Amino acid sequence: MKTLSKSKTGLSRRSFGAAAVAAAMIAGLTAGQAQAEFAHPEGFNPDDWVIVASVINTTNPYMISNIEGAEAISKALDIDLEIVNSNNSSQTSVSSILAILASGKKPIMFVNTVASSDAPTIVEAVKQSGGYVSIWWNKPDAYKPQDVGDNFVAFQKHTGVDSGRCGARALAEALGGKGNVIMLPGVQDSTTSKTRVAGFKAEIAENFPEIKILEERPSNWDPQLGARNAKDMIVKYGSEINGVWSADDGMQIGAMQSFENAGLLEQVKFSSDGLYPKTLEDIISGRGDNAIVGETFHRGYMASAIGLYTAYLAASGQITPSELPADKRESFFKLSCVTPENYQQYLQYDAAGAADAFVARLIDTGPWDTEPVPLVGGGVEVLPES
Amino acid sequence: MTAPTADRQTPDMRLILSRLRLGPVGLIAALAVLILVFSFLNPRFASIENLQNVLFQVSVPLIIVVGTTLVIQMGSIDLAPEGIMGAAGMAWILLSPNSRLDSDIGLWAWPVALGLGLGLGLVTGLIYAKLKVPSFVVTLGTWYVGLGIAILLYGNDLLPSLTSEGLARWPTQVTLGLPNSFWLAAFVLAGGVLLSHYTHLGRGLMAIGNNEGIARSSGMKVDLLKIAAFTIAGVLSALAGILATMQLGSGSPDIGFGQLFTVIPAAVIGGTALSGGEGGVMRSALGVVLLVILNNGLVLAGVDPDYQSGVFGTLLLVAIIAVAWPQRGRLKVAK
Repeated sequence: MKTLSKSKTGLSRRSFGAAAVAAAMIAGLTAGQAQAEFAHPEGFNPDDWVIVASVINTTNPYMISNIEGAEAISKALDIDLEIVNSNNSSQTSVSSILAILASGKKPIMFVNTVASSDAPTIVEAVKQSGGYVSIWWNKPDAYKPQDVGDNFVAFQKHTGVDSGRCGARALAEALGGKGNVIMLPGVQDSTTSKTRVAGFKAEIAENFPEIKILEERPSNWDPQLGARNAKDMIVKYGSEINGVWSADDGMQIGAMQSFENAGLLEQVKFSSDGLYPKTLEDIISGRGDNAIVGETFHRGYMASAIGLYTAYLAASGQITPSELPADKRESFFKLSCVTPENYQQYLQYDAAGAADAFVARLIDTGPWDTEPVPLVGGGVEVLPES
Repeated sequence: MTAPTADRQTPDMRLILSRLRLGPVGLIAALAVLILVFSFLNPRFASIENLQNVLFQVSVPLIIVVGTTLVIQMGSIDLAPEGIMGAAGMAWILLSPNSRLDSDIGLWAWPVALGLGLGLGLVTGLIYAKLKVPSFVVTLGTWYVGLGIAILLYGNDLLPSLTSEGLARWPTQVTLGLPNSFWLAAFVLAGGVLLSHYTHLGRGLMAIGNNEGIARSSGMKVDLLKIAAFTIAGVLSALAGILATMQLGSGSPDIGFGQLFTVIPAAVIGGTALSGGEGGVMRSALGVVLLVILNNGLVLAGVDPDYQSGVFGTLLLVAIIAVAWPQRGRLKVAK
């Protein structure tokens, strides 16, 4: 937790920003060197391989960040890159991946699955082609890398429960432990949304008995639907609403707009997940009397880089997945709680060249020990009772 | 709503009567019942605040549905609105005061964004009318072209958000008791009604939907009318994209996400047959209002989210049956 203590040193925002940019540039330079000098282990011919990153769509900022990470790792390892845009469809995802597998090169793959049920199909195909794959975020709980073999290198994620708990704590504390909140989950049956919702509710139930959840309205990760549902909630509860939690920043952006339009933004607090650039901007500017009180930090480029680097290590024989401990096959990576007090330490990860810098450190320290997202646990995420 | 019958070659007396008297009676009845029930379940449903809320939500699909109806009336289909909305919305926000680029060109952003929609609509119309490609496929293409433009404009930079307070607030501001976005939609709707009932173009589109061969042989410039319909639909989708962007306060290529499945069912519920030659802009607008009220009412009534999709679907079926009831005697073949 070295980085967390930095927020107390009282660095001014500007000097911190400058330091962060400088740090990123230095790290960027190292990344450049690493690229030039990158030495694959003997017997590994990079020309036989292709790095594949499959994302759900190319419009969501998180997915764009996934692509950024894949580009950085492809550059650092000097292996060609193919991006699969699933266009929000499992069908498209699977068929595009199969097309790439048919091209002859063996894949080192990162897949951000559209639906849990896509994982087995994709993994089987990769296994057939002799490639290696890491899956992020969604897979059926009972489908384990250990049972499939080395080609399914790992399943990796940030835990949703922790995200929900972060948001609940920040929101409840900002309200002084008392008040009414509404919840905007994502796609209702997605694991990510479910786990975040469960975490939020559990934290409230366990520690904040005087916080009342008025209602939850799944908003499909869609800013507009978030805005619409928030508007309906405003009509229904009016100024009774003291806080809003959203399962991701996209929906929060929509919800905040509705509260602002209703003239209520300054009386309501918000917390969510993702720390999107727009959210960061609103925290910095103190929009709506510092309306945003809590966020979580993780980045798409970190996820794809970790996933791809783990798969690369397996492909190049530097790790043997079947010999890894269980938490390195089904892994949870750290998620940081961000507040208006400590957001500054995360600015560095959005600076220009931050993805390259992260990849450089990743190659240096390995997939499980790179700040700010080291491995913190593993297994199947258990939902708390609430 | 008598215009369609005028074009029929074998006017049937009963049919004319049923259209004259019953019009969208089923639709209005269904709406009235929904409003009553929802008001009973939650008195806030009938509040002025919620009326403004519903009208605010209705505006974007209302603008789209005017164009969609014109296209459907001539027996074609328009799948492109979501894509055109994305392209126009992104173009508009990047040329208005925004948090990403310093490329504000003031009011000129409007003609540029609307022009983009016009261009896409025009191309759609040309390919459809001149190259005889089915509209389903052409508009599927324009949908993705529009989305492609939107994604390129979006790039992988920051989410652009409106920095002009005035613009961001405009859609919710109230004029004469109603939100500005609704006034804009009402203006478009009025234009659409006038166009379909009192112009050569409007009547021509209906005639094409009824029987293109006859329309053509009676000397109508069918191709020109078709191109005009798609062009108008393109411009309106672009306008809807701009309005949706303003409402959200941020630009996104997905700004139109889900609209297609509001406007096409709305048109059909309103009695616009997908086979063409029937229905009207006003009826489609009522269809939009019905769908929006249904959603809004369920939320206000506090229906558990786990049940909402199911309840929404069931109520929709009941409403459609109610709407179609007065017309069931026409022995149409339902496809």
